[in-house]
Amino acid sequence: MSTPVAMQPVAEPATGRTGPRPAQRLTGFMPLIALVALVAALTIADPDFLTARSLTAVARTAAPLIVLAAGATLVVLCGGIDLSIAALASLTTVLLALWLPHLGGLATPAVIGVAAAIGAVQGVAHVLLRIPSFIVTLGGMSILSAVALVVSGAGTVRVVDDSPVAWLDLYLAGYVPMSAAMALLVVALIALVLKVTPLQSWISATGYSESAARLAGTPVDLVKIGAFCVSGACAGFAAVMLVSRQFSGGPTMADNLLLPAVAAIVVGGTAITGGHGSLWRSLAGAFVVTLLRVGLPIVGVPSAYEQILYGVIIVVAVALTLDWSKVSIIK
Amino acid sequence: MSVPAEREPTTSAPVPALEVRGLVKHYPGVKALDGVDLVVHQHEVLGLAGENGAGKSTLLKALVGLVTPDAGEIYVRGGAVKLRSVVDAADHGIGMVFQEQSLVPNLTAAENILLGGEGPAVRRGVYRWDVMRRLAQEQLDKIGSKIDPLARTDSLSFADRQMVEIAKVLRIEQRSQHPPVIILDEPTSVLESKEIETLFAQIRRLREFASVVFVSHRLDEVLDVCDRVTVLRSGQSVGEVATAGAVPRELHRMMIGSTGSDDHYHENAATPVAAEQPRLSVRGLSGKSFQDIDLDVAAGEIVAIVGVHGSGREDVCRALFGIEPTTAGEIRMDGKKLSLPNTRAACAAGIGYVPAERKIEGMVGPMSVAENMTLTKQKARCAGPFVAPKKQAGLVDRWIERLSIRTPGRDTPIQRLSGGNQQKVVLARWLVGGDIRLLLLDHPTRGLDIGARSEVYRLMRELAASGVATVLLGDSLEEAIGMADRILVMNDGRVVTEVACPNGGKPSPLDLVKEMV
Repeated sequence: MSTPVAMQPVAEPATGRTGPRPAQRLTGFMPLIALVALVAALTIADPDFLTARSLTAVARTAAPLIVLAAGATLVVLCGGIDLSIAALASLTTVLLALWLPHLGGLATPAVIGVAAAIGAVQGVAHVLLRIPSFIVTLGGMSILSAVALVVSGAGTVRVVDDSPVAWLDLYLAGYVPMSAAMALLVVALIALVLKVTPLQSWISATGYSESAARLAGTPVDLVKIGAFCVSGACAGFAAVMLVSRQFSGGPTMADNLLLPAVAAIVVGGTAITGGHGSLWRSLAGAFVVTLLRVGLPIVGVPSAYEQILYGVIIVVAVALTLDWSKVSIIK
Repeated sequence: MSVPAEREPTTSAPVPALEVRGLVKHYPGVKALDGVDLVVHQHEVLGLAGENGAGKSTLLKALVGLVTPDAGEIYVRGGAVKLRSVVDAADHGIGMVFQEQSLVPNLTAAENILLGGEGPAVRRGVYRWDVMRRLAQEQLDKIGSKIDPLARTDSLSFADRQMVEIAKVLRIEQRSQHPPVIILDEPTSVLESKEIETLFAQIRRLREFASVVFVSHRLDEVLDVCDRVTVLRSGQSVGEVATAGAVPRELHRMMIGSTGSDDHYHENAATPVAAEQPRLSVRGLSGKSFQDIDLDVAAGEIVAIVGVHGSGREDVCRALFGIEPTTAGEIRMDGKKLSLPNTRAACAAGIGYVPAERKIEGMVGPMSVAENMTLTKQKARCAGPFVAPKKQAGLVDRWIERLSIRTPGRDTPIQRLSGGNQQKVVLARWLVGGDIRLLLLDHPTRGLDIGARSEVYRLMRELAASGVATVLLGDSLEEAIGMADRILVMNDGRVVTEVACPNGGKPSPLDLVKEMV
């Protein structure tokens, strides 16, 4: 029927559930606390861990993950999810490896453009056909993986002359991996654009309450398509980083990055229900995930257990960050 | 709050099947129930009447354990009970047939009736269809229904589905071993008139072995089928009427109350409307739930649309904002034809919409006052493509002051504000651009206390004086009459009459009710 109405004057403001829940407030610091704790634990386990060399290695490993997670964070902030990022990145490594000999320096922008377009197409499918993003990108993941297999002939495509992408595998000042610097730049750039334009408002409103955003005349559909497009472009850029490091492209090269990327987003504290979160959180989350990945062998856990860890991390982190008021039918 | 009163010694009268005393329920900023008293005698059909927002829904939810009251007592057959869930309520013999039907469409009637309480119909995890059929048949026999228990629910008519629901609810008899109390929430809203007759026969039959609480917005129905009616207003029980000899008009008077108009609506601030070319002109607008709507609103004019639930007035409002699709007709703004495929087009045309569900559709709770206020008219806070923080701060602070919005600051999440201040921010959203021409207000004072209401009314007057055209769907008839210059009455998707409503010549609510029902 209707919302209840009172005609009695009610004491000011005295609104009940307000602001972030305690758990959400905690998650604001969670990624940073986890980061510090992990570095401390790993240093205790292996005093050699806290050296420039190993930190450089961590940063270099984290770079593609950061970029992947950053793009997908936009989709999550809008209230959706992009499961196709890893498959799209794999396909892009193949395309880049195939196109480098022909296009040279233009191959990089070309594959990023293609990846962005593929992301946008998924966004359009999600918005226009009104299919949940989860389903669209799950289907997309399967299709893109298959295309990668077909295009690559189901094998690794070697890059003979990697000079157009080799710059990404250099080091700044001898220690800072160029890929990590570029990843930071991507995060900073997107975060800045959001901050100084109405996009931040539009994305948050769409994620928190799509119906309210729509009724306020916010371009909800365009915002969502845009988020998928940027997510695709980021997957493309992550692929370029992988190729520059491995001198090849492969149809499953980035596939094992899907779970870590989702883990990075939720560990960062971005709510999977949308609205609440930021790219900086995903950056911190990506480092947490990378440290765990690097750290497991240090503390003597076989890397076969890695996937178990991701599974646990995702479930626990979502349990802590989920906006229950949105998914529960009980008010 | 109110302490449960001492129970009066029960004299010769039999113990009531269900009794509610001083029930109170607060929601943030709102008192939904403010000391409701209610008695349901055994073998009685009690009607519950009240306007939208009078507290009917909350009361019913409290009776079936979906809402925990803040104070007050519920007695079942004389004993105080605490109802924490639907199962709790069922254990005490209280069951509800919900407004939105709660059957699983692709199961059989028998499965639905026994759902959640299969008992002997399931052995070792396997359905025993013969037992199930027999048990379901027993339930259907109780209400004399001829429905085949093995028919798929989605193959049944709405009326038959309702019978299945009633048969399902009646299973609580077995839990409590007492005559049950059956609550029917707006059961007639989906039925044809013939089916309604069948339902009423059924309700009279239920009275033989149960008590019934019947809720409907159709007062004639309430008077027809009930023995007694309790009227709710503003979360309080304001009266009780024996239905024999009563007329709808009498009930309605109790529902809307008769508060003196102490210029609550700022009627003297109403500005005379120049009858030139109308700002909004709608001709022959038709959609799914409304047909052939003509509507003119002049600049500075407030036009209220009144009608009962289901009259289609909300959909007309939404159609004017590009949400509800239309099939025919045209909309003109200042003479120019408008096409409104979506809300963005409406916003661009200078139309603003304040939705009824403020918390869900009107505002984005966790976002700041400033962000909520500038969500639509981004240009007002931007320099080129970029947000200009200083410009935004100045703009937002100006409107906070101008509308006296009480907030700790512009960066406070809007959900921390009281309802009235939230609503002012939602209204301000349409004003900051300075290009508002038509405001569509769907229950703009819903959930607001009296002071906040008055402020919203004052604001509406100011906007009208500045030349904004307003379409108002009032929260109550009184509000519509108090605020409007003109009132359109809608019934069953059509405008049935138009009533002039000038200051000093206001129609009475009863004149309008005649046309509404």
